[in-house]
Amino acid sequence: MSTAPDAPTSASAAFVKPLPRPDEVSQGYWDAAARRELAIQRCDHCGWFNHPPDVVCAQCMSPDPSFSFVRVSGRGRIRSWTIMRDAFLPGFRDDVPWVVVDVELEEQAGLTVISRLADGPDANLALGAAVRVVFRDVAPGIALPEFELVAG
Amino acid sequence: MSGHSFTARGEVAVVGYAMSAVERHSERPLGALTIETSLAAIRDAGLERDQIDGFTTGSILPSAGGQATADGVGVVTPNWLAEHLRIRPRWASGFQGYGQLSGSVMLGVNAIASGAADYVLVHRALSNPRGRYHENPMTEAAGGAQWTAPYGFWGPPAQIALPYNEYLQRYGASRDAMATVLVELRKNGARIPWSYWHDRPITARDYLDARMIADPICILDCDIPVDGVAAFVLTTRERAADLPNRPVYVAGFCQGSPGRAGGNTFSSLDAIMEGGEFAAQQLWETSGLGPHDIDLPQLYDGFSPFIYFWLEVLGYCAPGEAHQFVQDGGISTETGLPIASGGGALGNGRMHGVPQMLECYLQLSRRAGERQLPSIDVGLACHSAPHWGGAVMYSAEPL
Repeated sequence: MSTAPDAPTSASAAFVKPLPRPDEVSQGYWDAAARRELAIQRCDHCGWFNHPPDVVCAQCMSPDPSFSFVRVSGRGRIRSWTIMRDAFLPGFRDDVPWVVVDVELEEQAGLTVISRLADGPDANLALGAAVRVVFRDVAPGIALPEFELVAG
Repeated sequence: MSGHSFTARGEVAVVGYAMSAVERHSERPLGALTIETSLAAIRDAGLERDQIDGFTTGSILPSAGGQATADGVGVVTPNWLAEHLRIRPRWASGFQGYGQLSGSVMLGVNAIASGAADYVLVHRALSNPRGRYHENPMTEAAGGAQWTAPYGFWGPPAQIALPYNEYLQRYGASRDAMATVLVELRKNGARIPWSYWHDRPITARDYLDARMIADPICILDCDIPVDGVAAFVLTTRERAADLPNRPVYVAGFCQGSPGRAGGNTFSSLDAIMEGGEFAAQQLWETSGLGPHDIDLPQLYDGFSPFIYFWLEVLGYCAPGEAHQFVQDGGISTETGLPIASGGGALGNGRMHGVPQMLECYLQLSRRAGERQLPSIDVGLACHSAPHWGGAVMYSAEPL
């Protein structure tokens, strides 16, 4: 079997992390992230934020849905976290250990996003700790919203 | 009371069962194990194969690995089983959703109570595909996965880690408390001949030294994937009276209600408790019984924190107190509430609600042999997390 000159040479290099594939419902979220903005789907009828974005507003149930992706502050609090010590997605094997956080955004009670804590596993973690969004460029035109602890 | 009641109470009974060996990888195809186990259950019930006229199960492979699951190989659907038993069923239906075993028993009870079928075979066939169970080679995260997989957040152990960590932090619980739970489950599982963990109890030290997966979840907090099959036969109370085994009656059931928060990514601790409390409320209202009428509440434990959540939503502990309850000996089979006498999933293998249902059946039909507990008249078999899954109540006499 021939090998291309630029083929990955180590086993781990062959594993790629899954990139988000935007769809008709989520496109606005990922477009905003690429501009380094955190924007959440908001119902044009009642103003409710839905995340993950939905096809019908979870609050007003309008059968004539109309949504906009609205930039939010990017500030929130940690509702929970886990330090990942095993990778079920092979592309994350070299990242062990890393921190996954569930962040409740300040705009609306219960409005949460799953993300990664950029500070890493040695950070001083606590329920309710204040965080703010940062962005990690992962591919041309794709950035992932992550969070970092806010000092003090 | 708002007037809801379970009008089929005591009208449908479990009249026989069979349980395969529980192995990491069976040498035989899952479909073959299912045929063998189903025929054994039918014989155990004192019936002929061609008397079975109804089939149900929840047939999914509960893995995040995205493995292909051919019918008869990775899963066994009701229709596959009917075809391969050469039966044209009057009724066959699969349960969609979580709480696959409690859910399919509910469907089977409804089919019998309505007359859609006379003898229903409820089975559950679980397979353990080759390779790592939850490992997923996806390179693109589409649909629900786009919100989690780009962060490496994938698979049930990590999903459970978030609400479990919330629990530990909010209530100051320790992993030592959970060691008590694992020691009890593995002690009881070690006594069960068909268990994957037969004769293999563990110590608290074993638990605390186990490999961490996603803090605070370690490998022993997760039930081990296995190949195994269970089958049960349901029929009416009248027909049960003519059959050889002592019938065990269905006294009530409930389903959780996850709401929007219970989608396919994960649930917060509050969402689990709210949906679970709704389920418990349905159970008490429709059955007319309460938690302290149940002698044998077999709680679901596919992931160990579910034990805490079920203890609390069913009302055996106040919210936040389950970790103290277990440390105080509350779940000892000998001296406490026997919530784990059947060994559960953590003491048997990833049999998805089967250990709970089977323990209720064996104890209430007085077929538990040397494990038989005294004075067990009402049991509860729980499945899944309380907000996603459900529970079926069984009784030794028609209530």
